[in-house]
Amino acid sequence: MTEFSPTILAFCCNWCSYAGADLAGVNRLQMPPNVHVIRVMCSASVKPEYVFKAISQGIDGVLVLGCHIGDCHYLTGNHRTAKRIPVAKKILRDAGIDDRRVRLDWVSAAEGEKFQQVITEFVGEVKALGPNPLREVRM
Amino acid sequence: MEKVVVIGGGIAGIQASLDLADRGFEVHLVERSPSIGGHMAQLDKTFPTNDCSMCILSPKMIMCADHANIKLHTYSEVQAVTGDFPRFRVAIREKARFVDVKRCTGCGDCIAKCPVKVPWEFEEGLAQRKAIYLPFPQAVPRKVTIDGERCRMIQSKKCGVCKKVCQAGAIDYDQKDSVVEVEAAAIVVATGFELMDATVMSQYGLGACKDVVTSLQLERILSASGPTGGHLARPSDHREPRKLAFVQCVGSRDAHSHGYCSSVCCMYATKESILAREHAPGLETAIFYMDMRATGKGFQEFVSRARQNYGVRYIRSRPAKVQSTADGTGALVNYETSGLTGESVTEEFDMLVLCPALIPPKGAKELSALLGVALDEDGFIDTPDISRPVDTSRKGVLACGFASGPIDIPDSVSQASAAAARAAELIEGGAK
Amino acid sequence: MARVGVFICHCGHNIASTVNVEEVVEFAKGLPGVAYAGHNLYSCSEEGLGSIKRSIAENRLDRVVVAACTPRTHEPLFRRACEQAGINKYLFEFVNIREHCSWIHTKEPREATEKAKKLVAMGVAKAALLEPQTEGESAVLPAAVVIGGGVSGLAAAASLVDQGIETHLVEASDRLGGLLAEVTTIGPEGTDARETVRGIVTRLEASPKAHIHLRSRVAEVKGFVGNFEVTVRGCDGDLKVPAGAIVVATGTKELVPTGEYGFGQRPEVVTQLELERRLARGERPRRVVFINCVGSRQPGREYCSRVCCNVTLKNALALAKASPDSRIHVIHRDIMSSGTAAERLYKEASESGVKFLRYGLERVPEVVAGRDGVEVLVYDETLEETVHLGADLVVLAVPMVPPGDSEATAKLLKVPRDKFGFFLEAHVKLRPVEFATDGVFICGSARWPVSARECIWQGMAAAAKASIPIKEGKVVIQAITAEVDPDKCAACGNCVLACPYEAIEVVERDGRRAAKVNEAQCKGCGTCVAACHNDAVSQKGFTSGQLSAMVDALVKAALEVPR
Repeated sequence: MTEFSPTILAFCCNWCSYAGADLAGVNRLQMPPNVHVIRVMCSASVKPEYVFKAISQGIDGVLVLGCHIGDCHYLTGNHRTAKRIPVAKKILRDAGIDDRRVRLDWVSAAEGEKFQQVITEFVGEVKALGPNPLREVRM
Repeated sequence: MEKVVVIGGGIAGIQASLDLADRGFEVHLVERSPSIGGHMAQLDKTFPTNDCSMCILSPKMIMCADHANIKLHTYSEVQAVTGDFPRFRVAIREKARFVDVKRCTGCGDCIAKCPVKVPWEFEEGLAQRKAIYLPFPQAVPRKVTIDGERCRMIQSKKCGVCKKVCQAGAIDYDQKDSVVEVEAAAIVVATGFELMDATVMSQYGLGACKDVVTSLQLERILSASGPTGGHLARPSDHREPRKLAFVQCVGSRDAHSHGYCSSVCCMYATKESILAREHAPGLETAIFYMDMRATGKGFQEFVSRARQNYGVRYIRSRPAKVQSTADGTGALVNYETSGLTGESVTEEFDMLVLCPALIPPKGAKELSALLGVALDEDGFIDTPDISRPVDTSRKGVLACGFASGPIDIPDSVSQASAAAARAAELIEGGAK
Repeated sequence: MARVGVFICHCGHNIASTVNVEEVVEFAKGLPGVAYAGHNLYSCSEEGLGSIKRSIAENRLDRVVVAACTPRTHEPLFRRACEQAGINKYLFEFVNIREHCSWIHTKEPREATEKAKKLVAMGVAKAALLEPQTEGESAVLPAAVVIGGGVSGLAAAASLVDQGIETHLVEASDRLGGLLAEVTTIGPEGTDARETVRGIVTRLEASPKAHIHLRSRVAEVKGFVGNFEVTVRGCDGDLKVPAGAIVVATGTKELVPTGEYGFGQRPEVVTQLELERRLARGERPRRVVFINCVGSRQPGREYCSRVCCNVTLKNALALAKASPDSRIHVIHRDIMSSGTAAERLYKEASESGVKFLRYGLERVPEVVAGRDGVEVLVYDETLEETVHLGADLVVLAVPMVPPGDSEATAKLLKVPRDKFGFFLEAHVKLRPVEFATDGVFICGSARWPVSARECIWQGMAAAAKASIPIKEGKVVIQAITAEVDPDKCAACGNCVLACPYEAIEVVERDGRRAAKVNEAQCKGCGTCVAACHNDAVSQKGFTSGQLSAMVDALVKAALEVPR
């Protein structure tokens, strides 16, 4: 039985977290290969339905990364993300899914090291949670 | 549309051309080698981000070739300049390539069949090219050139194979040099630098010891598209070295050679140490230096990373002598350890890299005379007025990049943009 | 049915040394919608682009996916190549397998290759659903705002007005010149600082296009490239300045030592700027010890402040020449006199009697009371012994640091800063005077400590960049704006509340109410998209269909295919 290696999806905003991820790459900061990035312009455009779709289809973890509060390239976008993602997590909880499979965090364009840290931590946490129980029940 | 002539197609010349063209001027970019790109095209990676050099240069080269307002004159030189600001008359001699560039597709069939092999300038002599050649695979424009001095047909009416195999009918042995005259409102000089010939400093063994190379040669060795396919191999036996060292200030900061500091060598030696280690895990590297000049953005951390994460030994000492080992390989470096209790030691390395002084390129004196601009005591174009940092001694002639003194890539880029702004001020604003 | 072409880049060995490119190509061939898959050594080179364009023609491709570096650098290049090959430039998708894959999993090549395959599958799934778009244009206001009246801001403003561009220079203090106003000479050549500043200010004062606002700050910035509204707050109220471009030239300040070497307790211990003030007053202390790298190049502030060595050298030389019995010492860790003139200055200083001693971080100098003035104890690394130096004055060469309000400035303009608080440019090598945000530029020490000469040419460089859209008169708007399907819209107004730019509103059309996007105002963030409960708003290039397809593709590649 091979060790469980989670499959994780990350939504990164173009201006901060995607750039932070690029910086981590430029600095060759090593991290586990479990995370797959989808680029969006703002974290506020991430619909909860994408998160639900991913989880319900068996993805083990979802990361939503935006700019720090107060630094959103589009002024107030991340404020909405900050309100929206916790609601999405609550819905997952109510559906019996461990809400630690979804994480919201803030990474700036200069924070290559923070990106590495968030990725490494999150992969570790999701690994400890084990495979998404919905893997067997895909729609 | 007002015209500007930019002399030199390295990164500074390319950036100045792009900014001037975007600004609405017609730019004539003159480059004496068959392709634009300059020395940056020879580098593997650039400090301090270790960005792939070609990856960041190539798009700018292509934008130059594609831009509606830029006319490239490659394999060309400025022959004469008459008139004065704002009506310079610049005579550009387009040297005969013996190839019709309108027909050449850059397919390379001719190169494969050419029987003549000569040392390849781009590969710093580590490999050979043919008499008909592309200076490097990502050349812009992607057109071949016949080196008339080496070609058998041009020299003695023999061979002619390339013409036979060229399906586009692009070979033209009768092609002559042609002269194009451009009436330009301003001229930007961005002629860059070259490496000093360090063989004259015989104590360092370049030329005599097989495994002593120059830094540019190492860049080619480290490059994926270079003579060893990116494999770190030493020239004598192609073995991967276990110990590699760099000697800084070869000919720089030297009362008997060049007194000035070439500025970028501390950083590029650090970079090359890191890269060499990435190519050959377990490699031990050392840098013999005087002062470790890491003053730019992110530079000091780059050096710390080299020291802590890559185990680079920084030895504050100027080697006295370098010799090969008994079998003609490697390098025995004799140096004094620092401090009052310093002693003379000899350490063996498998390969040694020299960082030679970076000097004005061949022809710089003649070009400055042609342009009527003054040079400083080190032979670089003088830009004495601090409030006019790109102005030369002649109105309307601007200088940027290494042509006016040692400088790194980001500063060359911003200086080139400054030259574009100054040209715009002079031409449009009627500025003084 | 889409015909997607997939091009995997080796990027020299940046990608290929970790990711098995050929394997990814083979994998891509099997993806739905893929009509062609190939690879290039350097996709961004003329050869690479040519090969992509040829493949498009030969295989009648109508969508292109390039898997290479980061879209943040080369997306425009590949979009243009698609256009040249006859494909709408928005039918292109960029997959990052370098910064996000090969560079961060160097020790796990097998896993990196598998990850690259999944990322490519996601990119292909999105590409297959992309729609062609046309770009709009936006007029550019013919004016610029320069924030900061130090020498780089002055140089930027002077260049702009000399190019015939209306420019507003905003300076918080009551005079121009920034740090240079307090300095005697600049550069190894010893040029008079105030005269240099005066020369540039004269150019501004002579131009009817220049508007200088002293004792003023920028209170608010609204808008985007070409259409900024900058609120300048001065003593007599607010002025709203419409501008096409903004240049940030807010400079730095000297670090105030926190008691090092007796600073604050001993009156003999001063900073370099204080020495400049005394030199300007004609003072020439006889025994001076300079201590370099005070507060820099050490844990907590690792950077080198670049200019201090040269300032120390020029001041040391001036003091050494002032009197035959002056005793000037420079205690340093490295002398950073790069280049031609600076190295000559170093030589001249040592030939004029300035003595240099090298110290290490492990054993820093000490300043103690002396018989006459103070005494500096320094362990000289070359002599390997502690030397006692009597001094009338101890000058601490401290680094330049971001000013206290740099965080506020960053928030005002929505621009990033690095870990030291200096502003972060768009690309360290390719775009040193630009921010990633279009229309906003950076120059001088606000970006990194630089000399006066460098400040001036960077100011000019920022002016060059700012002048381009202003002279062009228009900018092209990226086609990533939002759009509303009126049939799905319930006119609830959530999107209107969500939009940070007032770019969407509910209007009446054909007898029914529905939301409508103002393309010129829309910044393409997509906030409205997630605010809509009915799936009525979508963002071009980032539709729900496209993003959902990416999720599906990851699921398929990761969970359904046996490892």
